[in-house]
Amino acid sequence: MLRIKIQSNTLRLYLACIRNTLDAALCLQNFPCQEVERHNKPEVELKTSPELLLNPILICRNEAEKCLIETSINSLRISLKVKQADELENILTKKFLRFLSMRAEAFQVLRRKPVQGYDISFLITNYHCEEMQKHKLIDFIVQFMEVRILLNLISCFSLVRMIV
Amino acid sequence: MAAIAVHQFAQCITCHAWSPDHAMVAFCPNNNEVHIYKLIQEKWEKLHVLQKHDQIVSGIDWSVRSNRIVTVSHDRNSYVWNQEGSEWVPTLVILRLNRAALCVQWSPKENKFAVGSGAKTVCICYYEQENNWWVSKLIRKRHDSSVTSVAWHPNNVFLATTSTDGKCRVFSTFIKGVDIKEKKEGTSSDTKFGEQILQLDLSFSWAFGVKWSPSGNTLAYVGHNSMIYFVDDVGPSPLAQNVAFRDLPLRDVLFVSEKMVIGVGFDCNPMVFAADETGIWTFIKFLDERKTSSSGPKYGSQFSEAFGKLYGQSKYGVGNDAVESSRTRGGTHLHCTSQGGREFKDNSFHHFRIGWKNSYMGSGEPRRFIELSSMKVDLYTFYSTWDLGSQEDLLNYL
Repeated sequence: MLRIKIQSNTLRLYLACIRNTLDAALCLQNFPCQEVERHNKPEVELKTSPELLLNPILICRNEAEKCLIETSINSLRISLKVKQADELENILTKKFLRFLSMRAEAFQVLRRKPVQGYDISFLITNYHCEEMQKHKLIDFIVQFMEVRILLNLISCFSLVRMIV
Repeated sequence: MAAIAVHQFAQCITCHAWSPDHAMVAFCPNNNEVHIYKLIQEKWEKLHVLQKHDQIVSGIDWSVRSNRIVTVSHDRNSYVWNQEGSEWVPTLVILRLNRAALCVQWSPKENKFAVGSGAKTVCICYYEQENNWWVSKLIRKRHDSSVTSVAWHPNNVFLATTSTDGKCRVFSTFIKGVDIKEKKEGTSSDTKFGEQILQLDLSFSWAFGVKWSPSGNTLAYVGHNSMIYFVDDVGPSPLAQNVAFRDLPLRDVLFVSEKMVIGVGFDCNPMVFAADETGIWTFIKFLDERKTSSSGPKYGSQFSEAFGKLYGQSKYGVGNDAVESSRTRGGTHLHCTSQGGREFKDNSFHHFRIGWKNSYMGSGEPRRFIELSSMKVDLYTFYSTWDLGSQEDLLNYL
């Protein structure tokens, strides 16, 4: 239990940093495509006009855990890399994230395929900001990270217990 | 200072414009329609729906003297609406654009209007009597990115634009046959159509919301890097001032007087900027009062709550639950006391228009009202009137 507590305290700093960055970065607006007629696409995915992209932000807790936030004028992409200490955690993470990715529609902001080098990605566009509240969107992502870490722990413990 | 009147018209509004007498408002509820509402006996009633565009309407302007509405849309088209009897009759404007139109504004004399577009061009449209339609002249190859806003100088010739390339530019839009050359103005005698008078490269990020002061002496615009820029002596040697603030970026500004500017943006709380006697601009205050919530930001370490949150509310973040977030920006809420403490969550930005009202509020003492319509692009959309005259600290700047 003690281990979890210490972990959750350092985790809190990491999550607070992500939360504050998201708060500043989620200033999105409707913006039609400059390249293709009558289109409106997330600029962070297209990357056709460099002037519409902001500098990406990388937040690292340690080498294994990091978070990349890429922002453009009408969309934001946040990619997470979660800790995988050993083979077991590696498999668990893979399975869990695959489970989520297959249900991406239910989560709306979840990207079907993570950005290369990361385990899971979210794509938030101005349309999400219009129909949902910004602080709830941020809550969702931060709580998703908490839940995911907890899930990993629980599954590890139960598996270990089963094996022992 | 709380808003006196608030009304929610739609879930999300992209743009709006007031009628000349401020009794009606035209807005786009985030689709291809324009709705016109009128205030009849303290209640807003829907009078007209203008349907002609086939994509989201991005700009509306209502001319003060000629009572015409111009709308532009992402479908690359623009219409000028004339009221004939009880109907609004559209006239198509040939914009000759191949990308979305983003913003529109009538010139002060209302014989021209300017349209900023995603095609990195600005269209200056004017009415051709012989053909009975509006034609457009384009300012091409001057912008490196989309034109986000346009503003007319009171002299009806100069046009200021901001663009997502971070620059603010001033052009001459002199059109033969439409504008009459004024001999008095010696400085702008050699201005042809489309000639660039000034290019300001102050912002490191996208620029938005350019406006001229009522006299045309000062120009204000905002950058996405949470800065607001004031430019005096627009001409060969302009004087610029940058004012940085600690909150989220602004989207649009409005001159209340020569010395006072109100800015609106992602913080969902209008900000007041003012110039002192020496002409130095500073941030004065927020227009809406801020109520600090008692509980500081708590980052839900209770995992069970987080679980419920994830599975119960993954779809829409609207239903509240145990982790009712009292942590909007920096743990603040915006309360509009006039509406029984209804909350306005920060999410997006306002656009607005302004009008003066001198009214007698019972006591016999005339009070000067400022009518700001702020339309939030969010769950709540409202129009507000702030009683600016009652704010003694701001009276000096009016």
